Amino acid sequence: MIRSIQLKNVKKSYGDESILDGLSLTIPSGKFFALLGPSGCGKTTILRLIGGFETVDAGTIYLGDEDITDKPINKRRINTVFQNYALFPHMNVFDNVAYSQTIKKVDPATIKEKVFKILKTVHLESHAYKAINQLSGGQQQRVALARAIINEPEVLLLDEPLAALDFKLREKMLIELVDLQEKLGTTFIYVTHDQFEALTVADQMAIMNYDGEIEQIGTPKEIYEFPNSSFVAKFVGSTNILQGIINSLNGASYMDSGDLGNILIDISRPVTLSGRSQSNGPEWLKDGQEILLSIRPEKILISKKPREGFSNMLKGMVESIVYHGRSTQYNIRLLNNDKLQVFEQNEEHFPQEVIDYDDEVFVYWQKENAVVLER
Amino acid sequence: MKEYLRKALRRETPFFVGIPAFIWLVLYFYVPLTFIVLLSFLLHDSASLLQGLTITHYLSFLTYPYVWIFLRSLFFAFTVSCACLCIGYSLAYFLAFKAGRFKTFFLFLVIIPFFTNFLLHIYAWFFVLERNGFLNNLLQFLGIIKEPLHFLNTAGATLVVMVYCYLPFMVLPLYSILEKFDRKLIESSLDLGATAWQTFTRITIPLTISGIQSGFFLVFIPAFGEFVIPGLVGGDKSLFVGTVISTSMLGAHTMADGAAFTVLTGVLLVVVAALLLCVIRSFERKGNV
Repeated sequence: MIRSIQLKNVKKSYGDESILDGLSLTIPSGKFFALLGPSGCGKTTILRLIGGFETVDAGTIYLGDEDITDKPINKRRINTVFQNYALFPHMNVFDNVAYSQTIKKVDPATIKEKVFKILKTVHLESHAYKAINQLSGGQQQRVALARAIINEPEVLLLDEPLAALDFKLREKMLIELVDLQEKLGTTFIYVTHDQFEALTVADQMAIMNYDGEIEQIGTPKEIYEFPNSSFVAKFVGSTNILQGIINSLNGASYMDSGDLGNILIDISRPVTLSGRSQSNGPEWLKDGQEILLSIRPEKILISKKPREGFSNMLKGMVESIVYHGRSTQYNIRLLNNDKLQVFEQNEEHFPQEVIDYDDEVFVYWQKENAVVLER
Repeated sequence: MKEYLRKALRRETPFFVGIPAFIWLVLYFYVPLTFIVLLSFLLHDSASLLQGLTITHYLSFLTYPYVWIFLRSLFFAFTVSCACLCIGYSLAYFLAFKAGRFKTFFLFLVIIPFFTNFLLHIYAWFFVLERNGFLNNLLQFLGIIKEPLHFLNTAGATLVVMVYCYLPFMVLPLYSILEKFDRKLIESSLDLGATAWQTFTRITIPLTISGIQSGFFLVFIPAFGEFVIPGLVGGDKSLFVGTVISTSMLGAHTMADGAAFTVLTGVLLVVVAALLLCVIRSFERKGNV
């Protein structure tokens, strides 16, 4: 049985420093859940509380409808993959993976069968009798994984498990983790400060801010496309933030942004206020309301010639160009000296229009592709 | 050629650095040890030093009282080492994991005895153990005993004082290894369902076995040859290896006997230590106790 995890009004502080102050969070069962936040935001603390490594100062933790707040760590059917793996250096791969079964006094034949089955899942069956220090980082990672899942936990906690691996290997392991989660059906809670990892693996993800509060919960697509606060918009991916005041003219809403003129905006979609979970709908978006507008760099088009068919167009000058391979990043200085980032796909070897430093350019976007945020 | 020499010199630097210590060791350990071994085989009387070689010095020790003295020393050294290990491990564990910001202070308390004279430690115990001493007063005050007990000049007193004197030698190596111990391993063991005791025996002990080993031998070997403490607080009822050696070596006609006993017990001690080492090492391999 795989049950959900629920934290209710959880408080935790270390000394005088309050890490979590009345945090509530529900993690659905059988999902790959990512907890994304900046370093020191308390995401690891949440993991340690769920795992039982720490005790809450106040509040309750539920596994399904069972209160596990005071259940000892070794009685919880929750296992952890540690950041630096914490493999037992005096045991070989087999003994590490078999550890939880050995202490349960399962008979040796069953253990052997089980261990090799798990090792096969993580592609390590040929390394069973190697010492831990003979393994590469990626292999150690798999041992840690195998050791944690052999116990068939209801919840698997992963604390920045890929932080020590290089980029290529990390990409590969992320895909493997997703496959593994689907195969096992266990709830995975994945803590990371790396938005790429979180977006890649998660079915559901929560974004935490510096104060240890949940800013937004949703699917990676919801989070990325429709952030509900400028913190989320800036933390997940890159974005451009413009500011102004709502106005409407002839039934169309726009943002009066001073020097940049009127920018058309789309306020038909419900918007959630940051930091508060209630959905206010568009009612708070009244004329005269100060707002922020978030536009993802890849949703902006750049050209030296004016074009038709876009809701918004701004003029600017190319300040710098960064070549990323699959895309090129243009840093544009707008008329009011605000900066704007634009990503263009490098679709052709020889683009018709070559944009260079100091060129005067136009940038365009559709109003539906920008997100209105509370200031 | 010059280049070659320079490279060779650089490569052999560790060797040159080691030379002074090596010379020191040869002059003050190997040379005297050779003399002792030679002396133990010399046949002599009061008139002349050398009359030939003999093994009679050795044979005299293969008799009942000396075997008994050897075993008693062994037993005492072993008991003291085990007691030091139990107390020292708890103390080092506390210092490394639980003492927090008072760590340095507590560590200082452990090291303080090194700043005072060894004999002073022993005499300090007189005040605790004597007839009108602290322990008797305490026990009487608590109503546990009516008449003062005899603590001084007993085997128990010897054991207690020896444990006290040798404890820092156990605590320090254990502390240094526990300090570096990755506590994530303990968490990880608990996470996998082990109890605190299982974690201690299967993870903590096997991974700190090198500290246990060095602490144990730092206590066991000197404790085996100890003669000052038994002499002062143990009375003269029971003889120890160290006592026999010191009295023989100081006597005019018994030096060769002392040398023989030194060599004999030294060799036996190496054998016993090797056996103990095997036992300790086996805990590491098995990973459980």
